Amino acid sequence: MHTLLKSTAVGLTAAAVTAGAALAGPYDAHKGTTLVVNFPAHPHYDAVMKILPEFTKETGIEVEVDQLPYLKMRERQTLELAQDEGDYDLIAYVVFSKADYVYADQLENLAKYFMNPKLANPAYDSADLIDGYVYNIGFAGGDRGYLSGATGSLFGMPYGSETSVLGYRKDIFEKHGLEVPQNYDELLALACQIPELEPGMGGLASRAASGHHAAHAFLLHLNPLGGAIFDESWEPVVNNAAGVKAAEALKTIVDCGAEGSVNFGFGEALGSFLNGDTAMFLDTTIVAGQVDNPDKSKVVGNVGWALHPMGTKRASQTGGFGIGIPANAENKDAAFLLMQWLTSKEGDKLVAMAGGNPSRFSTHADADVNAKFPHMATFGEALQYADPDWRPIIPVWGKINADLGTTLSKVLTEDLDIQEALDGVAARARTVMDEAGYYTWNE
Amino acid sequence: MSRALANRFTPYMFMAPAVVIMAMALIYPLGYMIWGSFRAWNPSQSIGEAEFVGLKNYVTLWKDPNFHESLGVTLKFAFFVVSFEMIIGVGLALLLDRNIRGMSVLRTMFILPMMIAPVVVGLMWRYMYHPTVGTFNRLLDDWGLPRIDWLGQHALNSIIIADIWQWTPFIFILSLAALQSLPSSALEAAKIDGATSWQQIIYIKIPLMMPVLIVTCLLRLIDAFKVLEVILVMTQGGPGLSTEILALRISRTATEFRELGVAAAMSNYLLLLLLALTVGMFLFTRLQEVRAARIRAAIDEDL
Amino acid sequence: MAEKYEKQNPAFYVLIAILVFMSIGPVLLMLVNSFKLDVDILSGTSGLLFLPTIQNYETALCDVLWYEPEHLDFCQLKFGGAFVNSLIIALVSTALTLVIGCMAAYALVRFRFMGRDTVSLTTLMVRMVPPAVLLVPVFGLWNNEFCLDKNGLIGGLIRDTLGGRGDVCLAGTHSGIILVYVAMNLPFVIWILQSFIVQVPRSLEEAARVDGAGPFQVFFKIVLPLIKPGLAAAAIFTFRIAWNEYLLASALSDRDTKTVPILIVNNMSEFNVEWGVIMATGMLLAIPPIIFTLFASRQIITGMTAGAVKG
Repeated sequence: MHTLLKSTAVGLTAAAVTAGAALAGPYDAHKGTTLVVNFPAHPHYDAVMKILPEFTKETGIEVEVDQLPYLKMRERQTLELAQDEGDYDLIAYVVFSKADYVYADQLENLAKYFMNPKLANPAYDSADLIDGYVYNIGFAGGDRGYLSGATGSLFGMPYGSETSVLGYRKDIFEKHGLEVPQNYDELLALACQIPELEPGMGGLASRAASGHHAAHAFLLHLNPLGGAIFDESWEPVVNNAAGVKAAEALKTIVDCGAEGSVNFGFGEALGSFLNGDTAMFLDTTIVAGQVDNPDKSKVVGNVGWALHPMGTKRASQTGGFGIGIPANAENKDAAFLLMQWLTSKEGDKLVAMAGGNPSRFSTHADADVNAKFPHMATFGEALQYADPDWRPIIPVWGKINADLGTTLSKVLTEDLDIQEALDGVAARARTVMDEAGYYTWNE
Repeated sequence: MSRALANRFTPYMFMAPAVVIMAMALIYPLGYMIWGSFRAWNPSQSIGEAEFVGLKNYVTLWKDPNFHESLGVTLKFAFFVVSFEMIIGVGLALLLDRNIRGMSVLRTMFILPMMIAPVVVGLMWRYMYHPTVGTFNRLLDDWGLPRIDWLGQHALNSIIIADIWQWTPFIFILSLAALQSLPSSALEAAKIDGATSWQQIIYIKIPLMMPVLIVTCLLRLIDAFKVLEVILVMTQGGPGLSTEILALRISRTATEFRELGVAAAMSNYLLLLLLALTVGMFLFTRLQEVRAARIRAAIDEDL
Repeated sequence: MAEKYEKQNPAFYVLIAILVFMSIGPVLLMLVNSFKLDVDILSGTSGLLFLPTIQNYETALCDVLWYEPEHLDFCQLKFGGAFVNSLIIALVSTALTLVIGCMAAYALVRFRFMGRDTVSLTTLMVRMVPPAVLLVPVFGLWNNEFCLDKNGLIGGLIRDTLGGRGDVCLAGTHSGIILVYVAMNLPFVIWILQSFIVQVPRSLEEAARVDGAGPFQVFFKIVLPLIKPGLAAAAIFTFRIAWNEYLLASALSDRDTKTVPILIVNNMSEFNVEWGVIMATGMLLAIPPIIFTLFASRQIITGMTAGAVKG
């Protein structure tokens, strides 16, 4: 009798266990793990913080986040990634760090994770991901090292990516009967016209602070006006006619901008627009969420959106962040699951509803998202013109970027001659490129 | 162990912990840095893996216009800050050296700026200098005057003002203490002789305070080169490089540009500069003392 | 000593009033702003007419509050943790610096021994070094060289008990930062204490020695009690530096050992300058120094003047 009961019990338990194993969800093996992630203090990632509890609820994996200002985050990361065993399981990297990290072999190649049937979600639908972003932010090893191409592979997923768009004050434009600028000539004319029409108001809020910000602002104008930093054989051409025109455009904008704009970082430029001190704003799409937030903005309901004006072509920014798994991480599989969840259709929609930047075409076209954020439709259209070659993502870009930014800031504040300044940047960039070996095959 | 032996070792035992710690955390790192300045060193490498490049870092810096600009900014900053603080601090001490009720309360309030964290000082002034909502520009608006672009065009001046705010109390307190320890006999004698207060100041008070003033000035000068957090928070070295003092540039080269070798070379340049200044001041003081002694000797001879 | 309070002319008092206003004005401004909402700060409503709110402090202290503030979606600032870190680091640095510095100062003043002048001179010279100069080597050493292999005896023990990954390096630990702070502060503390020890009459020490006291007893029982004001001054200064320091702490700390200044600087993010919260965290950081100033100003002044005036 006892033996019968016992064997039945054992048999039932065994059956239950096997059944349980057969029905095991993809997340069960990792329940209870705590992931440590590094995110920047950025509106998109603030939205991510809001949806992370959903992830924990669904999978049982805890997430501990280290949020830092994004330039500091980068400094922290370069240190952590170089260790033998790092603290972070998942990092959000600034797009131009893709080159550094991949080159130093510090990010996991995602191929083996997508090949693992226990981890890869068959319903992921990678064709729905915005390809401009995927190639700009996640892909490495293709043409010129950083663009798409047959020789490359994926090291990260775009998350928090952004393109550039023009925001303008509908009420001011209506009041003075102004037209939304379609090309650069109109934009520049308007930028200086507005301070005269509305005394005390700046034309276009732009970042201009020395270093990364001034360089970013410059690049916004360089590409549409037909310029580039390097040509096909990596020779610097930033000082050609288009480059000078772009720098002049930046100077005009800053001169006709709000008080103190020479020192504006991104936060201040945005603040100036949200406070009603400037009539236009040309920068990343991430600001859309804040414009309609009454806690932060005084221009709620008065802002319209348009495409980035055309120069000789339409070329808006591609940039932002991507997420990747460090090579020295501890919980790589669980980190991959998090990455996959965040960039899945459901995760993307959740973050878009919370105010973040979607990374999928379907999210931009989704009815709920558009109901809450009507500008999504314009953004979706802007994405068509996102230029994947917006800036060269090469390991030495950091140095060149810093030099470009500092020099441009001098142009803006000390009235340095533009051609001379750009010639200097080109010469110094050439030295850096030469040292890094970019002209090895040029003979 | 015999008492004599224990006594022989006592000084070493007393000194040992301090020596060990300073060696480990000050001397060794400094030597390490000098060693590292001859290499192309990346933050992820340990120094052994870094490539030896001889004097290349030094030469690069020597020719680098950014380094020159940063050096210029540092010297300008140090000069103006120390001069203004000395003049204002000593002046205030001379003015306020009177017996009034509640002097100790006042002194308490005056040292407050010095005690606040530089990071917080930077914050406060950044807010006050803000182009649109800052206190200063709003006041100017209220008075109908044009706004000033504090942190843009006049960044260096704004930083100097903030530093003066924070450290003048230091000079003030020290000068006041010096003044109050002056022998009253000399002052009384001068007053009896009919010296005006101005003459009293120039011929009696200041010369007698000189030793303290020199030490204070030297201390302040050394500290002026260490200022970093205030500038970091207020302008981050911008616009351009107009407020990037050497200490800030070194920290940027290390963390942002990730070139530890160059940062080390720059640190060495800075140390050499400081050494030159300190030695210079010592020689100057020594010269003054020698001259004073000679004058005194001459007076003694005449008498 | 009879205090003679002279009457001064009104201009004098006006000057004093101006000076006081300028000294504490910015601090008061920060205090007032920390109780305002961002919208109020940015829109420039005049300082006195506003609705005070403790929202900023709630945001800052969100991880030590016993309730969930409604305006917050998630707790981003971990001020409580940073505060504890700052406190630990500052207190331990101060204690260690005092003990070690005291002993060293005593040795330099009282004993003649080989290498005394070298040590004295080095102590002075090291005072010149800006922390930024130390940044590079300390960063490199603390991360790469001063490490215990995690497979070794002690390293393995530490990893087993405390967890964590990788080799046990000084970077990212409280001890790493404390070590640097102690080393940085020793020269100044030694210098201050020297001028106090010099004033202790030798006769007292000789008397004690005649009575049979060993050198350590002489030091602890005779000298230390007499230099209490110097100790207080040195303690306040060391605490202040350890509490306020940013640069080296930011280079040597990791997620668990962040101090408050690092938190403040990190919070000045690009995208969202939350002035109210920044002011609140700034006030919180400034509270201990303000308390010291109010209650120990005499010691502070004594400390400053020692060595300058008397030396």
